[in-house]
Amino acid sequence: MTDSDSRQRCCDHYHRERYPHLEKRKFGGEEADAVIVGLGAAGGVLLYELAKAGLDVVGIEAGPFWDPQSDFASDELHAQTLAWNDTRLSTGQNALQFGANNSGRGVGGGTVHFTGVFYRFQESDFRVRTLDGTAEDWPISYEDLAPYYDKIENEIKVSGPREFPWGPFHGPYPYPERSPISGNAEIFRRGCEALGIRSTTAPLAILSAPFDARPPCINRGFCNQGCLPNAKFSTLIHHVPKAIALGAEVLSDSMVTRILVDQRGRVSGVEFNHDGRYYEQKAKVVIVSAFAVETPRLLLNSACSQFPDGLANSSGLVGKYLMPHSGHDVYARFDQEIRLYKGTPVLAVSQDFYGTDPNRDFIRGYSLHAHGSRPLGMAVKAATNAGIWGRRLREIMLHWNYYARITLVGEVLPEITNCVTLSGETDEYGLPRAEVHFAYGENDQKLINHGIQKCREILGAVGGRDAFVVPDSAHLMGGCRMGDDPSRSVVNKFCQSHDIPNLYICDASVFVTSGAANPTETVMALAARTADHIIREGKKQG
Amino acid sequence: MKKIESLYPDYDVLALRDEWDANTRTIVNKRLGPFQFQVLSGRQQELVKAVATQVAVEDREEVLTWIAAHVDEQLSTAQGESQRKPGIPPRRELILTGLEALDEWAKGKFFKGFLSIKPEQQLEFLELLEVGGLPQENGWDTERQKELFKKLASLIISAEYSHPWVWSEIGYGGPAYPRGYVRVELGLTDPWEPKPSVDSGKGEGR
Repeated sequence: MTDSDSRQRCCDHYHRERYPHLEKRKFGGEEADAVIVGLGAAGGVLLYELAKAGLDVVGIEAGPFWDPQSDFASDELHAQTLAWNDTRLSTGQNALQFGANNSGRGVGGGTVHFTGVFYRFQESDFRVRTLDGTAEDWPISYEDLAPYYDKIENEIKVSGPREFPWGPFHGPYPYPERSPISGNAEIFRRGCEALGIRSTTAPLAILSAPFDARPPCINRGFCNQGCLPNAKFSTLIHHVPKAIALGAEVLSDSMVTRILVDQRGRVSGVEFNHDGRYYEQKAKVVIVSAFAVETPRLLLNSACSQFPDGLANSSGLVGKYLMPHSGHDVYARFDQEIRLYKGTPVLAVSQDFYGTDPNRDFIRGYSLHAHGSRPLGMAVKAATNAGIWGRRLREIMLHWNYYARITLVGEVLPEITNCVTLSGETDEYGLPRAEVHFAYGENDQKLINHGIQKCREILGAVGGRDAFVVPDSAHLMGGCRMGDDPSRSVVNKFCQSHDIPNLYICDASVFVTSGAANPTETVMALAARTADHIIREGKKQG
Repeated sequence: MKKIESLYPDYDVLALRDEWDANTRTIVNKRLGPFQFQVLSGRQQELVKAVATQVAVEDREEVLTWIAAHVDEQLSTAQGESQRKPGIPPRRELILTGLEALDEWAKGKFFKGFLSIKPEQQLEFLELLEVGGLPQENGWDTERQKELFKKLASLIISAEYSHPWVWSEIGYGGPAYPRGYVRVELGLTDPWEPKPSVDSGKGEGR
């Protein structure tokens, strides 16, 4: 690797040979039916569904086409290369961390390093304005997504508990729940039991039995570092290869730098950079699935004479209402070994504190996860986020097998001031870097405090002591929210931009509110629904 | 000050490495050296090691050298730094100028460089750096000091807890592909996992 041109760095991730796909493009000189920017949770589903319907579809991914066997390792430090590490400027009272914290790079995107926790949103998540008088309602309801939740869960054989106690869906899941659960998950469930809190094993996009030539989980524990046995679902190993077999094309190591606009004010394709050279891909439909920071950034960076404020931005809301989940960790020490490193990280959960409870002094709620860890993840966050380093950290880490951990997935309310904008600093492509501003609101803070207290009580109920808290966040949502009113939202209920009919935005950026559940299943359900819409529209136009 | 002892003194995670996949084995083996430095001068390496001695409470030369090598590698890569606050220099510049600044601060107070002051004085400096409490000269305002500490601590702790000797010491089973973990239930261990020599989880709280 050389430093001379960092645009070529991403092409050196391969340990095996690359194929010269830019010399053998399927639709290089022609107009594809659709081009998808970003092949993560949403892009992978879209690529597959559109290819299945017979469309000529091209997926362009900034990062590499990973090969799990040669690119992944059982190592936290090595796994940092799987993240979107491009520098973002981060500002605000609670400036966000990016990279492995929430942003994937390469085919599969965030699904390569997500924990595999696979929740549906609940009915109330789509109606916060109606129920709580704040934020905004989604233009769709739970019922609109339910068939797509069913479809996705069945397609990838989600494993889950026999009875899921919360929300509208109680199971059954396609595959049986994971068993046995880890020591950390057991401690969590016992603590919940002692306090009368309901808990279950986690619904997971991780196999509990063989499927599609993939084995069940071996409890290696490295879900966030890339699954080597392929027991954990990712679009890298599921949707994308199936889409290619159906005729889709994938161009990896290719950074989309601009969405092209024709003289009629419609989008006509994209410009991208591969190994320092610029190419174009023409398409009838452009779908941006580049996640909550890069999606708004690309739309803003694609400003042109017809759309001087960026594409799909007549509302001025591109980049606005960005939300993470609060993701604080609570650790406590026990008299017996827990061994946080063993097993799938999240094997037990509770949603007893989900949604609004009128007896609390804040609205909305949170999920709680028994959450395993490896040494680097625990020690680095303790040092940088909680100020625990030196002798105190050393003492904790020498006893780390005696610690249990619970993690909060807390709903964060949308605020227009939490946003992605363009900074004055440019990257290696000469494009302005994203600047992301974030601060928790008062409700968010009250919710966090409540959640932390609950974690302390659960751990304390079964003998946990010397608890400490590591502030953290997880996931990103919003930035191009959906809605019926073009002056108050960026896309309609089918993820089609209000301003440009053949431009779609389909990823977590369209979320209106954040819910208190890991977002991946909802992202994938939205993608499947958007694919159906694009296919229907295509048929109408012949 | 009392030395904190490992609960697993007889455990060596490297003795298990034939069970690991080849890619993981290669990656971990590289942390045992030898190392080549591209960015850090000899003196800058010593400064990183002195900081790491305090931040990670690490005193083994081999581990400290790996930590310095990791910092060097991260400062020489073209990869981004995920996030940076506006007004803060890029990580490489922040750390290289920060190491020099540590020396200047030490000279300002003790008339000796950072490497020549006592360990407890070094610790005191780093505690001040963490909260931005060192003299605000040459652009080193509160925010920049805090960011320097954060970026350095992140790199140092990442390297410390990626060294197989440290994995052994803390009783981490480590990489387990392809064999996985079979007995994951509370209280159960696979035969090859480390067992504490004394059940001293009950020891000193913090």
